[in-house]
Amino acid sequence: MSASGRVLADVRAKRRPMRFLGASGQLGYGIPTPAFNLGLSRNPDLIGCDMGSIDIGPTYLGKGEMATSPEATMRDLRKVLHGARSLDVPLVIGSAGSAGAAPHLDATLAMMRDIARQDGLRFRMASIRADMDRAALIAAARAGKITGLDDMPALTEADITQAAHIVGQMGMGSFRAALDADVDVIIAGRACDTSIFAALPAMLGFPVGLCVHMAKIIECASLCCVPGGRDAILATLDDDGFELESMNPTRRATPTSVAAHSLYEQADPFTVHEPDGALNLSGARYEAVDDRRARVSGATWTDTKDPTVKMEGAVKLGERAVLLAGAADPRFIAGVKDILAGLTSLVRELVCEDQPEDYTLRFRVYGVDGVRMVTPEHETPPGEVFIMGECIAPTRERASEVVRTCKQYLLHYGYPGRLATAGNLAFPFTPPEVSLGPAYRFNVYHLLHTPDPDALFPMTVESV
Amino acid sequence: MKLSDLALVIRGKNAGPRRLTLDVMFATDADYQRAVQSPGLAAANVARLYRVAPEAITVIPYPAGRAIKYVLARAIMAGDPGDFDVYGAQQHAPLLEIEL
Repeated sequence: MSASGRVLADVRAKRRPMRFLGASGQLGYGIPTPAFNLGLSRNPDLIGCDMGSIDIGPTYLGKGEMATSPEATMRDLRKVLHGARSLDVPLVIGSAGSAGAAPHLDATLAMMRDIARQDGLRFRMASIRADMDRAALIAAARAGKITGLDDMPALTEADITQAAHIVGQMGMGSFRAALDADVDVIIAGRACDTSIFAALPAMLGFPVGLCVHMAKIIECASLCCVPGGRDAILATLDDDGFELESMNPTRRATPTSVAAHSLYEQADPFTVHEPDGALNLSGARYEAVDDRRARVSGATWTDTKDPTVKMEGAVKLGERAVLLAGAADPRFIAGVKDILAGLTSLVRELVCEDQPEDYTLRFRVYGVDGVRMVTPEHETPPGEVFIMGECIAPTRERASEVVRTCKQYLLHYGYPGRLATAGNLAFPFTPPEVSLGPAYRFNVYHLLHTPDPDALFPMTVESV
Repeated sequence: MKLSDLALVIRGKNAGPRRLTLDVMFATDADYQRAVQSPGLAAANVARLYRVAPEAITVIPYPAGRAIKYVLARAIMAGDPGDFDVYGAQQHAPLLEIEL
């Protein structure tokens, strides 16, 4: 029998509290070993890791690349795989490869197979795909079954066909199917981060509200503690609540710190919408067990009559190149907005002499208005600024041409009152122009209304 | 007193790629009570700082976390051309100077 079958049989045979080790909220950025090993010594029933997020922006999803380095990702996967196999408990990883589309999932699965081969491990591994079927989406859009999230414009057929990748966030049902398939490891494409931990106890009959609330907290490892951090966290769940304890002794889970975690990256701290229902935290209670352990209870769950799948897709815009330069001349800084507007016109005349204006060009002046959505009026001018010019063009060569032209003409741009006639810019290195590869934007951020979300996420099981 | 002298945490972050969420958290219930009643932290003043209409900001008092949350639409979707803060993690800055 494999790990998931063993744990299910064990708890079904004798009802008992269950322990869950949240090993990482961002697998691939390093998992501190002391806390992880302490977590293993507490005999968890499941080790879970979240590996992805939409926070990182559209390019990883669009390009099919991981945000994390292959070396660090392999190291983290090796650590959690050995830990799970040493205890014979399920290892559950969600949103594989940062964005959870086919190339991300396949790269993660390939790493798992490599580790198994190199280290002589044998296990049963389920993989669950999160890529949405385009023809089905077009049909759903026509039938009015797709709605925009947070005022996202209506999804068009062009959006669906042009997106490089479209994923859906799978829910507990998909993980339940994998756990039922008697496996040791589950690698899921894009997934609700809660489902990683909530599916197992929910299928064993623990109250779903508690399962999902616990999962929502421990998928971020020890972030719910003071001080918050990335060390592994242990949750112990019973029928009335769950207890949280960071596996780093210097991090404390206090009632306030755990309650405050419900605010993190959430528009509404009282309600969390999942594919098959909603978590209601209005009645949640947070109590101290001791100095560094908190007990949480009171969350409730409501099944929905209208199951939905949250979808994310990214479309390629072109190729991106940037110019990086600084300046320290007060007269240049005082006139920088006019100078950059003049430069933009000058560059357009040069690079569009025999070609259309087929690119976009933007500048940010760091120190002035590079970062803030609103800048106060009448700020004292800074002593130095950093200028970033960004071009998105149809080809890498075209984007490069535009920013290289910008570099030369900004360096020598003549403006009223100019004293520094040898050059306006300080380059920290050369070349100061960098080709960044393809640029993407999110063109799908929508809900798919479907009676059977789990049917959209096919699972396969392999013996590694 | 400035908000930045009283608060334990003042932070911004996306809640999905189209919403910005701002959290202000306090060390004690007394500090929270003082802040939650201050006009400086009312929707109208925060909306003024972010140059949006007051009705464009949702204010959520959250006593269990001794926190006040603000939610507003991002002017540019995270990662779109022209975005300047993909994670939204530096948009808390206007809150720092609020007088309580």
